[in-house]
Amino acid sequence: MVVQRGDLACCVRCAGPAAAGRLGRRQLLRAAVHPPATDSSARRGAAAAQVAGATGAETDDGVRRAAGRAGDPGVITGTVLDTSPQIVTLYGPGGERRIALPPGASVWKGRRADPAALESGDSVVVRMLPGRRSVADRIWANAGRVTGVIMELDRESMLVEEGRTTRRQAVLIPPHVMGRLQVRFPRLEPGYLVDFIGLRGRGYLEALVPATSQPAYRAAEAPARSPLRGHPRDRITGSAVWHEPAGPADADGVRYPGLDPATACREQPLAGSACPPLPYLSVGSLLKVRNECTGTTRILPVSGCATTAQVFCDRCVTCGTSPRGRVADLPMASFVALGGDLERGCFIATVSLGTLAPGTPSRAAGPS
Amino acid sequence: MTSPDLPATLLADLRDIQPPILAGLLIGGCLAKLSRVLRSIGWRGGARRRRVPSEPAIAGGTGGRPPGSALDAGLGPTQLFPLRLRRRLAMGMCVFELCLGLALVATLLPVGTHAGTVLRAPRAATGARIAAAAFFLVAAAALAELRGRRPDLGCGCFGDLSSQPVSWRSLARALLLTGAALISVETPALYLPPWGHGALLLLGIVCGELALIAALSPEVSEALVRLGYTDPCELRQLPAGRTLAALRRSRTWRKHARAITTEMPIDMWRELCWRYVVFPCCQDGGQAEVVFAVQLKRRRPAVLAAVLPLPPGWPGGPAASSPAAADWPRREAMQLSGSAARLCNYLAVSSWRARMLDTRPDGLWIHAGWARRKRPKCGTVNAIRPRSEL
Repeated sequence: MVVQRGDLACCVRCAGPAAAGRLGRRQLLRAAVHPPATDSSARRGAAAAQVAGATGAETDDGVRRAAGRAGDPGVITGTVLDTSPQIVTLYGPGGERRIALPPGASVWKGRRADPAALESGDSVVVRMLPGRRSVADRIWANAGRVTGVIMELDRESMLVEEGRTTRRQAVLIPPHVMGRLQVRFPRLEPGYLVDFIGLRGRGYLEALVPATSQPAYRAAEAPARSPLRGHPRDRITGSAVWHEPAGPADADGVRYPGLDPATACREQPLAGSACPPLPYLSVGSLLKVRNECTGTTRILPVSGCATTAQVFCDRCVTCGTSPRGRVADLPMASFVALGGDLERGCFIATVSLGTLAPGTPSRAAGPS
Repeated sequence: MTSPDLPATLLADLRDIQPPILAGLLIGGCLAKLSRVLRSIGWRGGARRRRVPSEPAIAGGTGGRPPGSALDAGLGPTQLFPLRLRRRLAMGMCVFELCLGLALVATLLPVGTHAGTVLRAPRAATGARIAAAAFFLVAAAALAELRGRRPDLGCGCFGDLSSQPVSWRSLARALLLTGAALISVETPALYLPPWGHGALLLLGIVCGELALIAALSPEVSEALVRLGYTDPCELRQLPAGRTLAALRRSRTWRKHARAITTEMPIDMWRELCWRYVVFPCCQDGGQAEVVFAVQLKRRRPAVLAAVLPLPPGWPGGPAASSPAAADWPRREAMQLSGSAARLCNYLAVSSWRARMLDTRPDGLWIHAGWARRKRPKCGTVNAIRPRSEL
């Protein structure tokens, strides 16, 4: 059976090709068994098309941002091939691209920098100006992030475990940054949680910015969640964070903290906290993510477990203060496309569940 | 019983009932801690256990359960000690509570069965009660220290039930139990009073003391909440086996069972209150898939079903040319535009490519994995029959 523990990991990037095809078919099967109210076999295709219309990039103000669609030039990722004061040449999944650097374009490379700081070989995420295909608005170079539990530690470096299916991440902490990091991460000891943003090097991250404040408890001591009265809400507001994608399948999805534990998740999330619990979904479920700061909305498929999201019961203070809890872990490109800034680490997001398809049943609805 | 004797009788009865009450509390606290450990190693408990909201899932646990070190995780005065000592201390305290409770019970045994009988082991009884008093006094001091240094932590006295931060009630309870242990030091063996006023008085004293302890226990409200609590269906952890059992009991299953060609599902996933189960089946002489949606309810879950033909190129699907087979996942993915389409397209195309790699030079498909091996041909007698007919 595919769903037996260990046969199929819940995360897309761990699934083999045969299982991956099965995961890709789930939404069609679900739409077939839960047709819209005006169901007829002849209209099922139309209903699926309506679902299709609802997915993809959209914004509430009706302006379709270029950043949201498949193959959209709104956000591109790639490696710098060549750079000049006005033009940067990238090599990405779509081939070689030349991006214009207007005077207002800003570059982040560990800190705000001049476009001249870009070098050949830098791995960049570029957000275009709205409506412009090849004019950069912001560029993040070599941005990286490590979120997890400290496993080993010495004076200037540490090994951090991000999940069971990923290798431990080496983090270097420059001496001049240590003080700044320890303001928000005072307990740099094994067992405690860290969340650092910095510059990605070869096999390590040079931590420069604390992405949040450290929980007071160890990862193994997260408090139990209190019983929930009533049903969880369809729209849950919290903090959306980003991660470095582990592969092409992971680059277009969203990691969700509330994956069903009964259907094989090798990356058991570190659940259990005082944060509001998230309803259970599975890989392939669609999640509508809205950036409350910019109003941008995207519908993304769940691609895996956000293993440490639930133990970080933190708030995002990007534009106002969010409720406690992380509700989505986005890959870098999706995070930037939704209007987030990588160096900030989060934005206030609302995720919508179960309202994405016209045939989605309500909680307890269904023939008895 | 005359009124001048009443205070003395009250005091005597009050002293007499302390050892069993203290023993009950100590053994109860130990069992509550042990239940946390049992859950951490996968013990599910009975039906009532499943109604309790999810435990704190801690790193290393499986299925949302805390790991084996859950005894010392996140609760109690053991958190004031270094990490490497916590588990040993927690286990030691649990064992000590159990031994102390059993000692209090065992030393209650009288030589005879009538009032005024002496204890079988008076020195051991005195020692056990003094040890209980010392234990509760140390516990009160530890709780005061915990409240000062880690005000966010619960006392852990009754396992997960004691997850609320230490308050004055917990401190007062520990002091009350210290006093109770002290006044019981020189009491004789427990006896059953004669039926009548004496028994009613004793019963009233027991109830009064239990009510006082309950009033000082923040765990009572937590226990009452858990007794009446059911996780909403979106958060309910229901094993996949129960979903399959509910499915096979349903009328919808019996309707499609003759067409289903394997006993076990080929895919299963969950979204909110529904779990979807997919079986291969036969439809009009060709291979298809039947998907069941099973509501995550314990009693009479709704079961819906739909049958979808297999796309070309899939194991057992209609024969199609390679371009058509390659186009099918693209057509499927087109129905889910945007990022969902990209993901589905990537997955489906990569799956199709993997199968292409298995193509023999003579053009025959070799489908590795579950599909070819487990799918019998349609029209044979291999279709799974309903369980009721087996």
